[in-house]
Amino acid sequence: MKLLWAACALLVCCWRASASTAGFIKSPLSQIKFTNDSTELHCEVIGDPIPEVQWWFVEGDEPNETFTHLFDGARDDRVLINATYVAHATSTLHLTNLTPDDSGTYECRASNDPDRNAMMKTPKIKWIRSQANVIVIEYPTVIASPSEVNNQTTAVLSCNLTDSSRPIKGSFWLLNGKLVKDSDSTASVPYTTLHLEKINYHTAGKYECVFKTDPNVTQTIEVKILPHVSAHKHSEHGNENDKIVLVCDSHGYPFPTDWTWIKKVENDFEPIINGTTAKYEIKSTPNKTSLTISDLSIESDVGDYECSGTNELGTNSDTIHLRVRSRLAALWPFLGIVAEVIILVAIIFIYEKRRKPDEINDDDDSGSAPLKSNSTTNHKDKNVRQRNSN
Amino acid sequence: MPPAAASKLDYVPPDGGWGWAVVLGAFISIGFSYAFPKSLTVYFKEIQAYFSVSYSQIAWVSSVMLATMYAAGPIASILVNRYGSRPVVMVGGLMVSAGMILASFGTSIVHLYLCVGVIGGLGLALNLQPSLTIVGSYFLVKRPLANGLAMTGSPVVLFTLAPLNQFLFDSFGWRGSFLILGAIVMNCCVAGALMRPVNKNIKPIPKTAPPNGEVSEEKQDETKSEGCLKRFVDVSLFRHRGFLIYLIGNCVMFFGLFAPVVFLAPYARHQGIDEYSSALLLSIFAVVDMFVRPSTGFLGNTKWIRPKIQYFFSFAVLFNGVCHLLCPLAQGHAGLIVYTVFFGIAFGMLCALLFETLMDLIGAQRFSTAVGLVTIIECGPVLLGPPICGALVDSLGDYKYLFYMCGIILVGCGLFFFIMHYYNYKKLEEEKDKSASVETRTPEEEEVELKPSPGTHDEDGSGRRGLHCLRGSFGSKDSFSGVCGQRDECVDCHSCLPASAKGHGG
Repeated sequence: MKLLWAACALLVCCWRASASTAGFIKSPLSQIKFTNDSTELHCEVIGDPIPEVQWWFVEGDEPNETFTHLFDGARDDRVLINATYVAHATSTLHLTNLTPDDSGTYECRASNDPDRNAMMKTPKIKWIRSQANVIVIEYPTVIASPSEVNNQTTAVLSCNLTDSSRPIKGSFWLLNGKLVKDSDSTASVPYTTLHLEKINYHTAGKYECVFKTDPNVTQTIEVKILPHVSAHKHSEHGNENDKIVLVCDSHGYPFPTDWTWIKKVENDFEPIINGTTAKYEIKSTPNKTSLTISDLSIESDVGDYECSGTNELGTNSDTIHLRVRSRLAALWPFLGIVAEVIILVAIIFIYEKRRKPDEINDDDDSGSAPLKSNSTTNHKDKNVRQRNSN
Repeated sequence: MPPAAASKLDYVPPDGGWGWAVVLGAFISIGFSYAFPKSLTVYFKEIQAYFSVSYSQIAWVSSVMLATMYAAGPIASILVNRYGSRPVVMVGGLMVSAGMILASFGTSIVHLYLCVGVIGGLGLALNLQPSLTIVGSYFLVKRPLANGLAMTGSPVVLFTLAPLNQFLFDSFGWRGSFLILGAIVMNCCVAGALMRPVNKNIKPIPKTAPPNGEVSEEKQDETKSEGCLKRFVDVSLFRHRGFLIYLIGNCVMFFGLFAPVVFLAPYARHQGIDEYSSALLLSIFAVVDMFVRPSTGFLGNTKWIRPKIQYFFSFAVLFNGVCHLLCPLAQGHAGLIVYTVFFGIAFGMLCALLFETLMDLIGAQRFSTAVGLVTIIECGPVLLGPPICGALVDSLGDYKYLFYMCGIILVGCGLFFFIMHYYNYKKLEEEKDKSASVETRTPEEEEVELKPSPGTHDEDGSGRRGLHCLRGSFGSKDSFSGVCGQRDECVDCHSCLPASAKGHGG
């Protein structure tokens, strides 16, 4: 009997042991964020059976802590919870549009005890917990001067970081998202300047000064110039009755909002409007414009075409000179060369026909060389005893 | 005793005279055949924009042209065997010309594939084969030199066509340029006109005169059997030891031969060299190539190298391989220029000897059929080589692996050639020794021993030691062949014969 009980106890233990308790494989990480930013807390738990994961918000200090359960859609839909329960449990808490009230401790709780949610019983296995601190701070003010650069040749951009409590590890500048050369500094000062010696279409754009405060703080200064319009080719050749595409590019910042094409015909300016005739088609994007002219004719389409791009500061343009080649332009060289070939072939054949009667006489024993002297030389090379023809 | 009298040359190649005019013709023909597909790349960007297709679709035009040119080899061989070189080259020239003219009116990319690719490629094949064949029929003693000179056509024409194409494109656009190129390519017809069939008349016999002018019954028998043999020539060639060595070695070699040329400019740009200097590298390559080819031909003709010309070729292949293996060590612009110069030398040597070695192994008689077979089988490696190497570069991200791979392939082939030709030469010596002991000599016969220098080579198994010529009457074929050993070309025997013996007793 005792043996039977022992065996049963062992079996129960084994059965119990096959179920493993929940354990964290990934815990949420603490972070510091700015207001209006968004953040994510990620939690992964393993166990058998698959544990359930919950998020709780902890306010206050021990022992007077208040726990608030977070669910998908809480806090006016700023909370989003994405959980998967495949092989192990994962759960991600997304918080958008952060406010200073969102600061606090966030707790990821997991349990795979079947009785975990029972109200009547005290759970035998507690929920395991993992915490992370989220601190939301006001975005510090960065004073940028000047706030905008319009149509200047040189400028000095500066940024001043005020009211930041975070330590400054350095700063750098970005132009259109790319790091400006030699602008990375490790000085922990709350100001930085960038000298622009030459403002042209290469150096114009959106500049951002970035302070390394983890999280980084940035401010934007726009350096604007007139659009730099350039044609792909200033002289284009088209073929008669064919079509041609004239292309103009723009560089710099900001990109033109309007593109126009004008045809200059003998001091007369004729704007080309899209869609009026089948002959012209204009396709424009902020940094490129193309004019397609179909069915070129030598009389009417030869001339200068001007493309102009306009942005908020002004207009700039470039000109393309169009030449139309006649269909028959290539025909003359063609006929010339064909004539040359025919003449050469004729000469060679006539020369051969003339030599033919001579050849037969020459050719008795020296093989096949038409010139006797040559064949003699050849045979000498081989050191053959020469036989004279009789 | 030799089985096939059909493979003997029964006349003395002139080795000069009109032969040099023929070399000029071959120069032009071969030049256009090799350089034309490569030079068309100047137009691709414009045509690509015009038809709105991708670059790979446009690059197919060149590939189709090259593929057709190689694949149509056997067709060209059959036509040359039947009609001789001249008509075939002229028709070929007209075909390429017609293809280009039709292409200039093309309205879709498929037109270009058909006109430039298929018709043009076929025309070029009809240009390439006969040119090589006729050089072989006009020269024996000076054949390596003649071959070297003829093959120089390729870099020279490429060097002239490249800037010319650019000029034509700027002045006339791609359609006009294709039209004018069609006319320029017609000069191949002039080259064909120069290729007067070699005069084999020892005594003119008023038979139906095919350009080869057969003279005696014996030869008529030969041609008859040759006609029957032609159908089986494929098989018999595949039993030819030298041909097999050549074929296997070349097929593997072509995988790694052209890729470095194709990728030289991209590699230079990858190293940070600007576009003009990269293009300059190719020009340097072409100029070096241009001078090395005739020099190699001349060297191959010297009495030290001619007997062992196969070893010279193997050395050229090995040199190519070593060059590529050392390429990744070349850094910067100067390093690449040094590499390009050495590569030009190696490549020129190889190309100059490429067909000379085949002629040396096979003999001029069967050369035409042999080269047809070789080109159609090489078609695969030639086409697949650059794309495979390109894929290698893309997947591994570094050009140096391309050079390593090509270098290893070429070094391997070079070693293969060295070993196999050593074996082949040994076998040929054995066979010749065996046949020498079987030769019959009558007391009336005078032996004229020729020096073992230019002109007396191992054509299919025999007398490197010297030609023995008989004076006296010739009776049967057998004694004729017994005199000259087991040779494909009993070249100098005729020069020994008295006039009465010629024509074989009338």
